[in-house]
Amino acid sequence: MPKIEVNREKFYGLIGKNYTNDQLEALLPCAKAELDGVDEAEGLLKIELNDTNRPDLWSTSGLARQLRVYKGGVRPEYSFFSNSGNSLDSGERVVKVDPGIKATRPYMAAFAITGKAINDSTLKDLIQTQEKLCWNYGRKRKSIAMGIYRSDLIKYPVLYSAADPDTTKFIPLGMDREMTLREIIRDHPKGQEFGHIVAKDDKFPFITDSAGSVLSFSPVINSSEIGAVEVGDENLFIELTGTDLPSLILTASIVACDLADDGFTILPVRVEYSYDTSLGRSITTPFYFQKDISVDVNYARKLLGSDLSAEEMTAALERMGIKPSLKGSEISIEVPEYRNDFLHSVDIIEDIMMGRGMDSFDPVMPSDSTVGRISPEEEFARKAKDILIGLGFQEMIYNYLGSRKDYIDKMNITGDELIQIVNPMTENYEFVRGSIIPSMLNSEAISANAVYPHSIFEIGKVAYLDSDDISGTVTRNSLGFMSADRNEGYNQVSSSVSALFYYLNRDYELKEMDDPRFIKGRSARVIYMGRAVGVFGEVSPGVLENWGIQMPATCCEIDLDLLMEE
Amino acid sequence: MDFDLKSLHPLEIRLLRHVATNEDITAERISSDLSYNLGQCNQTFSWLSAKSYIEESSRELRTLYEITGTGKEYISAGIPEQRIVDLLKSGGPLKMPDIAGALGLENKDVGSAFGQLSKEGVLKMDSEKRVVVIEGNLPERISILGSLLKRGMEQGLIDESCLSAEELSVIKSNSKKRGASTSPFKIIEREDLVYRLTDNGGKVKKLLLEQGLTGEEVGALTPEMLSSGSWKGKDFREYNINTPPNRVLLGRRNPYSQYLQWVKDKLSSLGFEEFDGPLVETEFWNGDALFMPQFHSARDIHDVYYLKNAASAKEIEQPWLDQVAETHENGWKTGSRGWGYEFDRDFTRRQVLRSQGTVLSAKQLHKAKIPGKYFGVARCFRYDQVDATHGADFYQTEGIVLGEDVNLRTLLGLLKMFAEEIAGAEEVRYVPGYFPFTEPSIEVHIKHPVLGWFELGGSGIFRPEVTEAMGIDVPVLAWGLGIDRMALMHLGLNDLRELFTPNIENVRLRRSK
Repeated sequence: MPKIEVNREKFYGLIGKNYTNDQLEALLPCAKAELDGVDEAEGLLKIELNDTNRPDLWSTSGLARQLRVYKGGVRPEYSFFSNSGNSLDSGERVVKVDPGIKATRPYMAAFAITGKAINDSTLKDLIQTQEKLCWNYGRKRKSIAMGIYRSDLIKYPVLYSAADPDTTKFIPLGMDREMTLREIIRDHPKGQEFGHIVAKDDKFPFITDSAGSVLSFSPVINSSEIGAVEVGDENLFIELTGTDLPSLILTASIVACDLADDGFTILPVRVEYSYDTSLGRSITTPFYFQKDISVDVNYARKLLGSDLSAEEMTAALERMGIKPSLKGSEISIEVPEYRNDFLHSVDIIEDIMMGRGMDSFDPVMPSDSTVGRISPEEEFARKAKDILIGLGFQEMIYNYLGSRKDYIDKMNITGDELIQIVNPMTENYEFVRGSIIPSMLNSEAISANAVYPHSIFEIGKVAYLDSDDISGTVTRNSLGFMSADRNEGYNQVSSSVSALFYYLNRDYELKEMDDPRFIKGRSARVIYMGRAVGVFGEVSPGVLENWGIQMPATCCEIDLDLLMEE
Repeated sequence: MDFDLKSLHPLEIRLLRHVATNEDITAERISSDLSYNLGQCNQTFSWLSAKSYIEESSRELRTLYEITGTGKEYISAGIPEQRIVDLLKSGGPLKMPDIAGALGLENKDVGSAFGQLSKEGVLKMDSEKRVVVIEGNLPERISILGSLLKRGMEQGLIDESCLSAEELSVIKSNSKKRGASTSPFKIIEREDLVYRLTDNGGKVKKLLLEQGLTGEEVGALTPEMLSSGSWKGKDFREYNINTPPNRVLLGRRNPYSQYLQWVKDKLSSLGFEEFDGPLVETEFWNGDALFMPQFHSARDIHDVYYLKNAASAKEIEQPWLDQVAETHENGWKTGSRGWGYEFDRDFTRRQVLRSQGTVLSAKQLHKAKIPGKYFGVARCFRYDQVDATHGADFYQTEGIVLGEDVNLRTLLGLLKMFAEEIAGAEEVRYVPGYFPFTEPSIEVHIKHPVLGWFELGGSGIFRPEVTEAMGIDVPVLAWGLGIDRMALMHLGLNDLRELFTPNIENVRLRRSK
């Protein structure tokens, strides 16, 4: 969930009204936002945005727009959008997209702004918006990256192409010498952070102007000259590159609307592709690509459980900044330029709900009668738990992830069946447990100070590889118990097993086994209905030594799913 | 001042009843009057001193003599001097080694006996180095030693103060302090303590007499007493009921698992049926079936755990795969425009450790009853740093409600029911929320009597892209509850890691509210 910081003065200036923190908190749900904190000294509001499909709310201007319209303000009209039927004049502002970039990062959207000098708070906002959009919505710049430049220094047309990483060089921001693109991804801090996005490609995305001056090595770093924007600059060029055209164009629209709300004039840019895109070969951005969508009033009533009139619904949508029109029982909406989250008519219904406010919907109890029950596995597990408690065992609950050391090395097993995580956070959580026994021995290893005897058990899940299953793994409900004491031995654990099976009403046989976890001749495989369902016995002193345990211990583990069968 | 008579041991009671103020209380006296052995005397004195019912009034050093093994041999075989004289009287003069040989004595013992007896004029050596008896009567010291040995046998210990000057002189010359098994007596030095009753002791004695407590009351009731009926007419010793009890190590549930069980029972009672599933899931069920686009940022490698072996499932069940794929691409028949990208059928087979309980809901859909209510308490895995608020794995409580009855207002009603029944909430607030698979989505915030306002859970109506791709054409409400905070509160903990602690003692001592 993105969190943004907004300048309180600018924010309330854009809304046109001041609110107390409490009032703001009560208002924010209409943007699925929460007040996360207030920095009184700096005059900053910290706000968390919960809707990942509403990136238009992740900026001071965008959030202010939502609140302003919700509280009755006028929805702004934006006249700088082209659409499929009408491309606005972009003048000399043209970007040419080279065919070489098609395979790696094929799309670009751009526009320029003018009309007033950038001040400190606008620049901060712009950088924050860029970060939030490119990080959260653009998947850490992978699908969207944005660059801001001093347009006075640009000689149009701009060229977006793919450059050789080893021969192409320029001075990147934050450096005072020329570096090749390859050097940048190796040595520049931004290169180290974002270079992986392009590193495996033969050629890297590169933006220059017609005079050959470098704008940027997208999505990594701007040049130190055209790409160095400062407070006081009046004319800026803004471009976005990426891999998904609709989200790229939407992001450009969001930034443009924000800057327009902030008082800038938006100047369109024509992007000319040398290949086909879903919106044609020439796209003038900001571009309105969204399609109208409609909802049936009766469907909305059914889903909301409410008999709202069509007019009440359209009024609610208007509060959300949406232009609705009613035809019969259909409400059709014109999607705002800065939004693209209407996939299905249910998305309109949610905006109706938010426009009405939650207080206008009274809770009613569901009236369908259904029979509740716990699962048969849970029922069986509870029976087993009752018996073990009667036998004096303390129930434990363990984590299911652990290390190679605990699950394999200390157990003297090869661990071939264990499920290994390919991207573990740390080596402490690298394997899924295939048995409860290491969990219990870990308990024993850290509990030598607890009064003896120790008798513990757990019923939980274990999982391991199994090539017979469609997933190549199985998850089982497993029962494990362990006792440690001076006089603990095979006879004691065997008695517990016998009592457990007797009261679960199950017959079993024992087979000798040779399992490195146990002492040979003092451990057994448990056979139920002809199948091995578990093991028990005296834990091998070698295993105890590996764990640093200095007390004799016995363990038992039973597959409850197999034992449940009758 | 209250006196706790019930904490008095029968030995203490009998002693207190026996002694009077200003009388000396000594081990000797108590052992002879009350037949306590020395250990019982000392134990009783120590208990009563600790309670300040008696106090030390004086202490004196006493010397006692105890007969040794050698002394006991003297009694059975005779005193060596006596035996030597008797032998010579009956057998005539003999050389010293012959005497030793005949009597089984050491040469040096025979030598020293001769030395002493010749000084006393009883024996002498003749010209042939044979020992000859001159005087038939033995010195008095021999008979005194004889009677001392006899006393020693009978009394065990002989108190120095009870001996005459002659006896003292004899016993001293026949004793050694320690280890001297060759002497007939051993010297024992003992500090003899003398106690007196204190004022409190006197009062307790009075109370004991008043209440008729004798110390002869019955302690443990035995099967023999029951079968013989000997308990009849006897008083039973009353116990101090506040004596700290011994610790019991018992078999018992883990309070966290018990809390989860309580939640399960609660949900069952509200008409929900439990479902469950494996820890390993495919991207298909973990995300695709929930209409989360495959390029969703939560799908990036740093948010879920992937598997090294069994990296992909062999296949995804049909027709769900085709229907979900088409829904992502173009909305299929769900009325949606879809996400508009090419669905990746290899990616969808990739396996992850289940990252959200909603997987179970997704898998339940196509086999669910209508109307139906389901829940699951599912162990989930998230790629997070482990700290007080993030576990390596954790439980999520989730479920679904299917039926024509499902709409926004019944959703609010259900959340209200959860808030009241499961969280004991005093107030409930609904806030629009966001989940990729529900629309509309609602968060429920509650005012908990202890925790104050917090987010209890999330809920919403499954998007038609989720339900219709699974062949369900009624609205389905999906819900999830964050019960960990309540579990922590219930257990008096504030660190999520504590819920899964392997520490046996911590779990043994843990209680719930």
